[in-house]
Amino acid sequence: MTDSMIKLALTKHHADRALAVRLNNGRYSLVFNRPVILLSAGLIVLLILSVLGSLSLGATILNFQTVFDALLGQSTQSQQLLVNEFRLPRVVAGLIAGFALAIAGSLIQNVVRNRLATPDVLGINEGAALLMLIVLVSSNVGLMGPWWVAPVGAFVSGILLLIIAKGLGTQGYRLILVGLALTYLVRSISELMLAHINSLHASATYSWSVGNLNGRGYEVAEPIAIGLAVLLPLVLIISRQLKIFQLGEELASTLGVNIFQTQLTAICLAILFAGLAVGIGGPIGFVAIVAPVIISKILGSTHLAMINTGLLGGILVIVADTLGRFLVAPLEIPVGVLTSILGGPFLLWVLLSNKNT
Amino acid sequence: MFAVKLIKQHNEPNIWLISYLLIAVLAIFLLISLTTGAGYISVGQSLAYLLGQPDAIADNKLASVMETLRMPRTIAAIIIGGCLGVAGTLMQTVTRNPLAEPGLLGVNAGAALGVVIGISFLAAETGYAYLVWAILGALVGSGIILWVANHGSAVVTPVKLVLAGIAISATFHGITSFLLINSQATYDQYRYWVLGSLAGVDLKSISQVSPFLVIGLIASLILTRPLASLMLGDDVAKSLGHKPALTRFIVTITVTLLAGGSVALAGPISFLGLIAPFLARAITGPALFHQLILSALFGALVVLIADICARLIVQPFEASVGVILAIIGAPLLIGLTHSSRFSQLILSKTGS
Repeated sequence: MTDSMIKLALTKHHADRALAVRLNNGRYSLVFNRPVILLSAGLIVLLILSVLGSLSLGATILNFQTVFDALLGQSTQSQQLLVNEFRLPRVVAGLIAGFALAIAGSLIQNVVRNRLATPDVLGINEGAALLMLIVLVSSNVGLMGPWWVAPVGAFVSGILLLIIAKGLGTQGYRLILVGLALTYLVRSISELMLAHINSLHASATYSWSVGNLNGRGYEVAEPIAIGLAVLLPLVLIISRQLKIFQLGEELASTLGVNIFQTQLTAICLAILFAGLAVGIGGPIGFVAIVAPVIISKILGSTHLAMINTGLLGGILVIVADTLGRFLVAPLEIPVGVLTSILGGPFLLWVLLSNKNT
Repeated sequence: MFAVKLIKQHNEPNIWLISYLLIAVLAIFLLISLTTGAGYISVGQSLAYLLGQPDAIADNKLASVMETLRMPRTIAAIIIGGCLGVAGTLMQTVTRNPLAEPGLLGVNAGAALGVVIGISFLAAETGYAYLVWAILGALVGSGIILWVANHGSAVVTPVKLVLAGIAISATFHGITSFLLINSQATYDQYRYWVLGSLAGVDLKSISQVSPFLVIGLIASLILTRPLASLMLGDDVAKSLGHKPALTRFIVTITVTLLAGGSVALAGPISFLGLIAPFLARAITGPALFHQLILSALFGALVVLIADICARLIVQPFEASVGVILAIIGAPLLIGLTHSSRFSQLILSKTGS
């Protein structure tokens, strides 16, 4: 790769100073906006802080020094066990679940062009959880069942949703309403099934069905992280097309964006991401709506910063999970319960503050 | 326009005839409800008891099944169904939103939270204490939702209002779980109750709740005129001598009494406030009084049938009425989004 092939150019982009890296005479290019990069840096700092906080807080509170020592293998065996075997895998799992949920939310919101269209409101998460429950009840697999069941469930409910709602619609309200109805339907079927399995199984499953990271670690986080890593480049390509898409359908199609293909790909990716996230932590609510809204409040609605949104999603889940372990220690509050308590007022605020959601 | 409406009402089907028909159907299902279900009592035995045959009444087991299990839940089903049907109609009228319903809009979740707060912090133990806390919680829920519905300049479409209801419900549910996390026993009890079941109802709790529900029903009959004028717009209502703000306030209290009382009796039941007024509207025109009467009758009928299904579908277990109603209600909601008249109403900006 020669110097002539790599051109660094500073261009004006939305009145922000943007750094564009062009490869192969501009056939491929990466555009970095300064505010986006600054935000990423800030979010990464926040992420590190919340990971440290999550490793140190819980039923037993450790100071940061002990956490560092444990990570480096220089503390007592019980502390190492607590940090490296119990807390770290769970933090990683939560981070990945939050990352996937936030990106899934951002993708659907931008395709449907409605802030309120997220996998939890549309019933996609509940569908994933229901299939997990069906596998659990009808077979004798472990307590949670294989993780890949959730993406399959998400896909089935997503396709069903699109068929029943007859497509996306212009403002997405029909889609949202059908999604709400599906959510209720699926939830009642889950409740009916929960009523028929033995009570020990039922209470564990129930606590997972509201969104819970308890007992989740590398064994589910690893395959899902690999899945996300494979799909993430596709998300970045699609998000650029969605950005052009924001300028309006006509302009986008004259600029060479295939609208149907873009929408379909983005929806499929979103469903997959949501399904993978549910496979880790169950249907954790509101992260998918909260993260994209906060990012667009910070950057302005013209930006579509997928990575930043994902980072924020991870932070939100880790913080909620840590609070859940810390607030009423030694008992635990499932992460989904905390995201619901905090997410409800947030949704209300979004509804009332945006005149055109 | 007004004259047209009056003439149209004249051509409508005879409302009283339909009411009598509904009451007859209700009576049939009342008999079915009293003669089916757990307790290993045959239909013949139950009928013998109901017809007052002396040897059937002398049978202790038969009498206890009928008096402590079947009669209370049948009576409760009819009362709750009627009240929630009326509450749904009132909410839909005052918010001008065909999707408004106590279950979808967070009123039930508020009542549930109220009960749990009562149990957790103030040692509420009796059914009467539950009732008071349920009504207080429901008041908070309906207060917030009506505030949202009439919120200043922001455009609140029917779908947005339902989403606001979901937001409120989610927060209430979250706080409820938060409070219950300490006690597995209370949690199990709460879950049983929260699913909306009529299995545990007894005559004493019905008589405790009744006064609140009766006040709510009387108030809704009195509200018919001011509400009907409100549908024509605030200005018209004012010129007709009504006070829109006062009307809205009394509607809030009335819905709270009806929904809160029902929740205290049988747990939160969703979708009924959507189903019953929908069926009523399919028959009557815009006349609010007729809608209220038919909603009450349809509501009673639907809950009674749902409760019978809940007993029969998964024997020897019981499904909850709430689950059965959600399974009926969700397809109805989907159907509404596809009917062009309703989707215009639901998706339009004003909702009126």
